[in-house]
Amino acid sequence: MRIVCVVKFVPDVDNFTYNYETHTIEREHSPMLINPDDARALGFALTMKKREPQTCIEVVTMAPRSVIPQLEDILRLGFDSATLISDQLFAGSDTYVTSKLLSSVIRKIPYDCILSGTHAIDGDTSHVPSQIAQSLDLDHLNFIHHIEEERFTCSSAVVEVEGESSYTTFEIALPALLSLTRESAYRLPYVRYKNLNLDVSERLHILTNEQLGFDPAEVGLSGSRTQVVSTHTKEHMTRRKKVVKSDDEGIEVIYTFLKSNGFI
Amino acid sequence: MKKVLVYVEDGYAQESLSLLEAVRQLYPDQHVETYALLINSDASAIDGVCDVLLTLEDGTLQPFDQKGLCDVFTSVHTRYSFDAILFLATPMGRCIAPSVSMRLETGLVADVTAIANDDGQISLIRPAYSGKIMAGIRIKGEGPVMMSIRIGVFTYQGTDTVQSTNIGLEGLDYRHGNIKVMGTKEKKIPYDIRESDVLISGGAGCSDMESLQDLADLLGGHVSASRAVVDKGIVPRAIQVGQSGKTVSPSLYIALGIHGALQHVEGLKDIPHIISVNTNKDAPICSISDIVVEGDALPFVAKLIRRIKEGQQR
Amino acid sequence: MVKEELIKQLSTILTEEQVNTDKDALYDAAADRYKKYAKARKVLNVPTPIAIVYPKDTEEVRKLLMFCNANRVNVIPRGGKTATEGGLENWKDTTIVIDALHLDEIIKIDTYNSQATVQAGVALQTLEDELQRVGYTTGHSPQSKPVAKYGGLVATRSIGQLSTLYGGIEDMVVGLECVFPDGHVSRIKNVPRRAGGPDIRHIAIGNEGTLCYITEVTVKIFRHYPENNRFLGYLVKDVASGIKVLREVMVNGFRPSVARTYSEEDAAQHFYHFHENKCVLLFMAEGPKGIVDATVTAIEDAVKKYHEGIIKQVDSTLIETWFNQLNWSQQDIDDEFLGMIDHDSHSGFTTEISADWETIPKIYHNVIKRIRKEFPRVQDLTMLGGHSSHSYLNGTNMYFVYNYKILCEPEDELIIYHHPLQRIIVEETLKMGGSMCHHHGIGKYRSEWTKDEHGSAYYMLEKLKEAFDPNGIMNYGTIFPQEEGLKYIE
Repeated sequence: MRIVCVVKFVPDVDNFTYNYETHTIEREHSPMLINPDDARALGFALTMKKREPQTCIEVVTMAPRSVIPQLEDILRLGFDSATLISDQLFAGSDTYVTSKLLSSVIRKIPYDCILSGTHAIDGDTSHVPSQIAQSLDLDHLNFIHHIEEERFTCSSAVVEVEGESSYTTFEIALPALLSLTRESAYRLPYVRYKNLNLDVSERLHILTNEQLGFDPAEVGLSGSRTQVVSTHTKEHMTRRKKVVKSDDEGIEVIYTFLKSNGFI
Repeated sequence: MKKVLVYVEDGYAQESLSLLEAVRQLYPDQHVETYALLINSDASAIDGVCDVLLTLEDGTLQPFDQKGLCDVFTSVHTRYSFDAILFLATPMGRCIAPSVSMRLETGLVADVTAIANDDGQISLIRPAYSGKIMAGIRIKGEGPVMMSIRIGVFTYQGTDTVQSTNIGLEGLDYRHGNIKVMGTKEKKIPYDIRESDVLISGGAGCSDMESLQDLADLLGGHVSASRAVVDKGIVPRAIQVGQSGKTVSPSLYIALGIHGALQHVEGLKDIPHIISVNTNKDAPICSISDIVVEGDALPFVAKLIRRIKEGQQR
Repeated sequence: MVKEELIKQLSTILTEEQVNTDKDALYDAAADRYKKYAKARKVLNVPTPIAIVYPKDTEEVRKLLMFCNANRVNVIPRGGKTATEGGLENWKDTTIVIDALHLDEIIKIDTYNSQATVQAGVALQTLEDELQRVGYTTGHSPQSKPVAKYGGLVATRSIGQLSTLYGGIEDMVVGLECVFPDGHVSRIKNVPRRAGGPDIRHIAIGNEGTLCYITEVTVKIFRHYPENNRFLGYLVKDVASGIKVLREVMVNGFRPSVARTYSEEDAAQHFYHFHENKCVLLFMAEGPKGIVDATVTAIEDAVKKYHEGIIKQVDSTLIETWFNQLNWSQQDIDDEFLGMIDHDSHSGFTTEISADWETIPKIYHNVIKRIRKEFPRVQDLTMLGGHSSHSYLNGTNMYFVYNYKILCEPEDELIIYHHPLQRIIVEETLKMGGSMCHHHGIGKYRSEWTKDEHGSAYYMLEKLKEAFDPNGIMNYGTIFPQEEGLKYIE
């Protein structure tokens, strides 16, 4: 069986650099980590490989080259190959262009199933998985929090999806795209101490536009259908710590506060 | 004239009215013809509000079937050529919208909170980075303009009624995805405190957790708890805030009888509005609160509930 | 003898109910809070003991030790299970844990002679509650007070938060009873003082279960004046400024019960609501009113003298609130355990050292500098700081406190994070002539440096081990370095 995981590297949302001139995230200067939902997809792929060692598991991502050490760590965990799509031309791509680029690469890889996360913690649009599924004409489910390992075959999968107030179990024909949530139990392990310096360079492939051959006008900012033009950060608030008593006057203060802030 | 499609998802007819307010802000000075797409969905809430009700009844077309729904949207758009398509950011809306936008090769903006149309140049505002950044996004390309809107962000203010035209969609070309439902089960705690916008949180100084529910309901929020209450087995760990529980990000946090150990307040500092009720006004939690109510939690809750209800009656 | 046979024989020495071979209990007994994270994640790399036994009296302890001595079975003595340095960790395939659970009698509270006698399994909190009922206190208040038991407190040379006034446990123990591996029972009598040769109490106090099993202790008890308690708190420029004030108070002859200086980072953990990113200096004075008043005046004088290092005084009720919330309960320990199962984090580690007044700020400075420069995972540190919390006439301690994002498998946590940090702290301390183990004991993981700690005096320690435990059955790997134990360290 062949599984392709498509993942995103995200800046640590508590600690990132944002360029207010160009309205892009300066990923080269921000510490990048694997998006938590996507890490679950990787975790499930590893679980399956552990069960069935012939399973071929691959990872595809589009990111700046600074993520190479993290990709190498993924390979050290036992992934068969990693493909990094990286080119200055692709910088500033919106979800539409990103999905197009990722789809064009995945299309050339044989697969029985594509795994991804549901949400990304930075943009939090959840667009890319659905868009890739559409591009590749695949069925797709989001919010998956459990996949039945015994019934995960080349032709179908049984998955449990988390809804607002219930869980629904689906059977879905493969190939399809399955998006997991971080509530799923498939933890991505860390590289063991003894493997920290394993050489995995042979299994890492970097693709630039030289290989992909897109017209520069179709990709990056110029190919995007949407463009971030302004941003503002919320100011760090200073608390007033106004102290009131639990009497009529105090309740009125709270009531007015709730009302003026739109909670009532 | 502009033609706009709003998707009225089954079970969200009332909430879908807010999409019409978004439409008004999107094209403030133009005549807009509004179309509602209803797939196996009850139209009564939207009847008399939208100009055209496009209805499709097909029990075999399931709400989670992205492939099938994407085909439907594409066919409908081919038939009517909309200038904009709007979705509610429900779990399903957020899945279908991107696949439709990809098929139509157009841009999509998720979770829009504000809209500006400056001489035809449309900018949409949305939060990113867990709400730390608000981004203004310009729509480029041929369109249609596509966006999703969170429930409760826009409020429908229209009062005029129109004579809605009902059109049953016939002869649409669409497939069915290869997905089958095998079963469902209810969640034990039917909400996730990480998603809640308002949290009413009880601690050791709050002797009756059940009485918080009414206040939570009035403020459209949920009940959460500090470790002290969870450890006593009064409430499940699933609603515990803090280091060994969950990191939450509501817009309003009301801390009732919570001391505020570092493990609890880790992550609370960025919450826009915090009210704490405590008999000790020097308890650590009070240092990160906008308003501190000095007193017992439960009498406060009862008084506030009474005040809110009074306000509703007026 | 094979394991099954040993367990059978144990059941003849004791009753079957006194021999616990429950799988989960044995897993729990394989390690202490040192390997808390690996333990919570169920990846411990050490053998589990074959049984936990619960003797009911000294005679049963005697029989058990003789049996183990004859059969070369490793013995781990255990009390309240709050050990943090591997003292309760098991490194041998054939080990039994002798738990003081049933040695739980308060034998005598003698207020006239200000002393109390308890069995090893009496919890500190239990005695403290009894004493407070009659207007007395143990004067001993480690963070583990609600859980820790007297046998363990004495065996590990425990110290409490009020030590600057009341002293460490070694200053409180009047006499004790202990059992040696050959079955000999020694009772050290309770007298105010004597010149009867070397003070042999100190062979048992702090032996960490490597020489004998402590079954009973008599400790001093103190008049309690909680109504006189006073608290003082200040924000100070840096650690060195705080330590200067601590020294001034001590060398002038005053004994506040609590006297502490926190680094900025450590202050943030405890005093986030008022520390304003500064170091915190705080005191508590207790005892008879005249002494408390004099102590407070002395503290205020010292603060005045070193005013250039003081930023401002803080509201003393804030210090009082903090003090009343300080101890961990069994619930806190259980909660941290649950948290470690669900999250890649724990509540951090500590390494506590001591040195004279002149040296302590230098060690602090060198350690922090070296960690920032050398520690390969410095970017993962979420907390690095410390506090001085036990002061003496000639010096003080430094409690290094650190935590980090655990970005590795639980099996590798110690080797990637804790060990390199601990190594830097120990090396820098020993280099400057300080002690690497102010109060948690050496345990197993600092045994690597026991010889460096004691230097030429290690000879005396080694001879004690040879004399009292010639077969090496007492808590293998603790205090006394073992070649074979390196596989668990590296």
